[in-house]
Amino acid sequence: MATMVMNRVLRHESILGVLLVAALVVLAAQSEHFWTTDNLLNQGRLMAEVGLIALPMTFVIVTGGIDLSVGSIFGLCAILLGVFWQNMGMPLPVAMIGALIVGAVAGLGNGFIITRFKVPPLIATLATLALYRGLAEGISQARSVRGYPDWFFVLGQGEVLGVPTQLWLLIVCFAIAAFILGMTTFGRTTYAIGSNEVAARFSGLKVDRAKLLIYGASGLISGLAAVIFVSRVSTTRSDMGTGYELDVITAVVLGGTSIFGGRGTIIGTALGLILMQALKNGLALSGVKGDGTIVVIGAVLIAAILVGNLLSRDGDG
Amino acid sequence: MTAETMTRPVPIRRWKSVFEAYGQEIVILGVIVVLCIGVWLYNPRFLSGNNFLSIFHSNAYIAIAAIGMSLVIISGNIDVSVGSLIGVLGTIAGTMAVNGYPIILCWLVPILIGMVINAGVGVLVAYVRIPSIVVTLGMLSILKGGLISVTGGAWISGMPPEFMIAQFRLFGIPSSVYFMVVLTVLAALWMKYSVFGRTVYAIGGNPEAARVSGIRIQPSIVGVFTIHGLFAGIAAVLFATQLQVIQSTVPPNLELTVITASVVGGVSILGGTGTVIGSTLAAILFAAIGSSLVFLNVSAYWLRAVQGLMILATVLADMARRRRI
Amino acid sequence: MTNLLEVSGVSKSFGPVKVLKEISFDVRPGEVHALLGENGAGKSTLIKIVAGVIHADEGEVRLEGKPVRFSSPREAAAHGIATVYQELLLFPDLTVAENIYLGHAPKTKWGTLDWNAMRAGARALLDSLDSPDLDVDTAVGKLSVANRQRVEIAKALSQNAKLVIMDEPTAALADADARKLMEVVKRLRDRGVGIIYVSHRLPEIFALADRVTVLRDGTYVGTKPIGEVTEGDLVSMMVGRAIDHLFPKTDTAPGATVLEVKNLCYRNVVRDISFTLRAGEIVGIAGLVGSGRTETALTIFGITPATSGEILIDGKPVTISSPDDARRLKIAYVPEDRGLQGLIRPQTVRENVSLAILDRIAKAFVVDRSREGSLAKDSIQRFGIRTRGPEQRVKQLSGGNQQKVVLAKWVATEPRVLIMDEPTRGIDVGAKAEIHALMSRLAGQGLAVLMISSELPEVLGMSDRVLVMRGGRIVGQFERKDATPDAVGAAMTAAKVGASLESAPAGLTGVAAS
Repeated sequence: MATMVMNRVLRHESILGVLLVAALVVLAAQSEHFWTTDNLLNQGRLMAEVGLIALPMTFVIVTGGIDLSVGSIFGLCAILLGVFWQNMGMPLPVAMIGALIVGAVAGLGNGFIITRFKVPPLIATLATLALYRGLAEGISQARSVRGYPDWFFVLGQGEVLGVPTQLWLLIVCFAIAAFILGMTTFGRTTYAIGSNEVAARFSGLKVDRAKLLIYGASGLISGLAAVIFVSRVSTTRSDMGTGYELDVITAVVLGGTSIFGGRGTIIGTALGLILMQALKNGLALSGVKGDGTIVVIGAVLIAAILVGNLLSRDGDG
Repeated sequence: MTAETMTRPVPIRRWKSVFEAYGQEIVILGVIVVLCIGVWLYNPRFLSGNNFLSIFHSNAYIAIAAIGMSLVIISGNIDVSVGSLIGVLGTIAGTMAVNGYPIILCWLVPILIGMVINAGVGVLVAYVRIPSIVVTLGMLSILKGGLISVTGGAWISGMPPEFMIAQFRLFGIPSSVYFMVVLTVLAALWMKYSVFGRTVYAIGGNPEAARVSGIRIQPSIVGVFTIHGLFAGIAAVLFATQLQVIQSTVPPNLELTVITASVVGGVSILGGTGTVIGSTLAAILFAAIGSSLVFLNVSAYWLRAVQGLMILATVLADMARRRRI
Repeated sequence: MTNLLEVSGVSKSFGPVKVLKEISFDVRPGEVHALLGENGAGKSTLIKIVAGVIHADEGEVRLEGKPVRFSSPREAAAHGIATVYQELLLFPDLTVAENIYLGHAPKTKWGTLDWNAMRAGARALLDSLDSPDLDVDTAVGKLSVANRQRVEIAKALSQNAKLVIMDEPTAALADADARKLMEVVKRLRDRGVGIIYVSHRLPEIFALADRVTVLRDGTYVGTKPIGEVTEGDLVSMMVGRAIDHLFPKTDTAPGATVLEVKNLCYRNVVRDISFTLRAGEIVGIAGLVGSGRTETALTIFGITPATSGEILIDGKPVTISSPDDARRLKIAYVPEDRGLQGLIRPQTVRENVSLAILDRIAKAFVVDRSREGSLAKDSIQRFGIRTRGPEQRVKQLSGGNQQKVVLAKWVATEPRVLIMDEPTRGIDVGAKAEIHALMSRLAGQGLAVLMISSELPEVLGMSDRVLVMRGGRIVGQFERKDATPDAVGAAMTAAKVGASLESAPAGLTGVAAS
């Protein structure tokens, strides 16, 4: 029986795995800079922020929702980190925690609008995308903050046992998320909500509470990613995180999570994330500039859903 | 049909039903008036001829783009890529003009391209059944990245004066204002009096009932997106010809401003209601708010926050209203 | 006079279940022809075939003598067949006038919509339906249900309908509105329109119909002119089958009172409901569509928490404001719509069965897969679920087996009160008997069972006590020995006591209604 389960779960993921291996082979062949430890570890460092946010986003999309405001929450937390530390004089660790709290509150705000006022997630997070970004811009007045102490940069630029710090963090969070989604009652509740929210409610599951937690987590992790990002690039600016929602959603969807909800795994998201990063790296190594990369990512998003739609027609649906 | 035996027209209970149908639009108009008077009291230069006109002139293209966007939202979909589309089309227009193509082509070709691109989006949404949010999210990046990759961030300048249609003046008023008013009125009439216009409302209001009534939903959706492309194209041409140069990027989050104009203008995000008159008025309101912030010495960086609050407030009010029904 | 509509030998199956077996009947112009039968008798399927929504597998439909086979409701409408459904297909944000003419709106000579003609036409149609107070410019979403129905009827008229099918038109209407609607129907008839009137309400049928056709279990029972039948005749035609082939309830002495409901109210759909439920007994709730039975269950179960009144478990008052509360109090609800409310169709048997007890088969939040697996296997065996195994997707199971999965899910919560809403709807006879056996067994084990059903034989055969609801209230209570089809049927269909007797025909007197 366990093998039956594994077979079902891994079908999309195996295709993805094969695709990933193929991509890595092609990229390694194309440029000798690709398959070096330095480069690979650096890619790991670069993908940590998007990767972290993709974890709660998987939960969000599995419930059939979406969170477009992650990039704005990211920016808001980045700004407030600077504000708390420099303008308000808080000790840096406290400021960091403050940034996380802001993220959590912003995410809970999303969850509240969605559960209490029954606003569809698309609209709610589109509105908060504007609101939170607006707050970031207004508070920062486009000034940037610099001059953080050295220890702070360990998070974003340092290493532990030769592996970038944030990569460790990503791996740990990935394991926790995979555990929660795959093995706990909360994970089951998440899948149930996405497959049939009415039946989930009628079975006594606490649907609203679950949604609040999921959107809250999305905000919290966006805040965490913001702190790491600031640590990595050493400054704070209000336009940070713009467009992150695209990368995050693409990683999740590429990983096999259905945009309609009810299906998806963290493993898939991880594979999707790595594939996307490999793609970006390959393009960069071939001389394509950052802006050209987002063209490809956009196309990948559309293609991923297209293929997903076609497959599920003749698959198990 | 029994109607044929009926010759006398039915009187409208004037004020009540007009207010019911156009309540939102009237409220927005009221807010604009109050806002303008308020700011003018604080700083009389706000309503000076130049400033007043420039509010309309520089934001007319937003109102026009919002016409197409309103159609899309009324049909139950959304488009977050319109800002990038306008940037791309505007750049195409400007580049063609600089390279000496016939002016009329410089105006029409971008519009055509806009229609084709959005028709493609419509096909993906209607026939392949990819949710419009995802298609347009992807499209946004493709267009934005594509634009910068191709132009390399360079600004376009040196366009021939015959091309700068937005700056033509008639009785001292820039043509963009005329375009905005005329297109809004035409679109409003079309939405009310054409079969296709009503079809859009039906599809957004109750897709199941629409299907049973014999409406062919898929081609209609493609049509909606194509028309949206038409308006985006017109907006792009105006955008390209407003200033002597075309920047390499569109104003940030243009799509959000356009969507906000539609939503605040009364187009319900759940589909099925709203008018283009409302979205044009809302676009004007935003422009007025933006200008007000300057005259009130409030940092313009708060504009986005105001935008977000307005969408939120409108949506919450809309949800509250629906639940009561 | 040629018949307006002739249905001959029409049969229809959905999968292995044959829902219509060689039905033949006809409708004349200018007649109100009532179509009667219990839920599941095949009425909906038959009218869908006539209306062009689905096709018959066998048989023929003739309109004014010519055979027709419509490929869509639109085509049927173009030929003059209009349907007024229960779930109204209207556009809430558009005006009354627009809704009436959507799809066939009058146009001016330039091809634009002629709003004046539309509004004038709508006004005329509504006036002819005796609705002068209905404003053609109001958004339909703001109208009451009764008025929305008038808009639907006007819609039918605007397409020059020759045949109008009305599916339970008064189900959601208050008495005054229902009477007005009946006037409207009479006007239609007087204009020569043929009307198929599907309704449970016998007094209405007697007041309105010219002829009545009864269906039972997908078979045609008979057509009679209304003057030649009594209510009792119709009830026996509807119910007729022998009750003895259902699994009878084993007699157990009922235990202590587990659930007591006092003066329970929810808005104005659940009105002052009071009853008790004891361990080991099955209490059946009979009633027509719209009588408030499911609404009462949803209030007890916490989906729509009570606005006033009390619920007591073991004599102690409790508050139930969510299904989670109900579940913790050991109340279980097997819902009416098992596809939407009871099951997660894309998921497996194992996942569905454990859905309501996730927190109890988990250790420190982690779902214990082996316990879950054993639970699934046990349930498959205990409930006789025909499936390839716990990993099969529920959507592939037959209706009866799906229902068993839902039942298994709730029995796993070890409930003390089990509410079953239409437990055997859409299930073939064999599976029905199995579900009944399961219910009896569960009651025998000490559960208190509340069974809501629209099938009289099921209610009569399975219940120790029968409650009858109508208009949100309990209008009758019968012990098993007193619960005869006539008595219960009369209580279900009688209007408020006293008012009904004015419009009832002579055949009704002598039957007690409480």
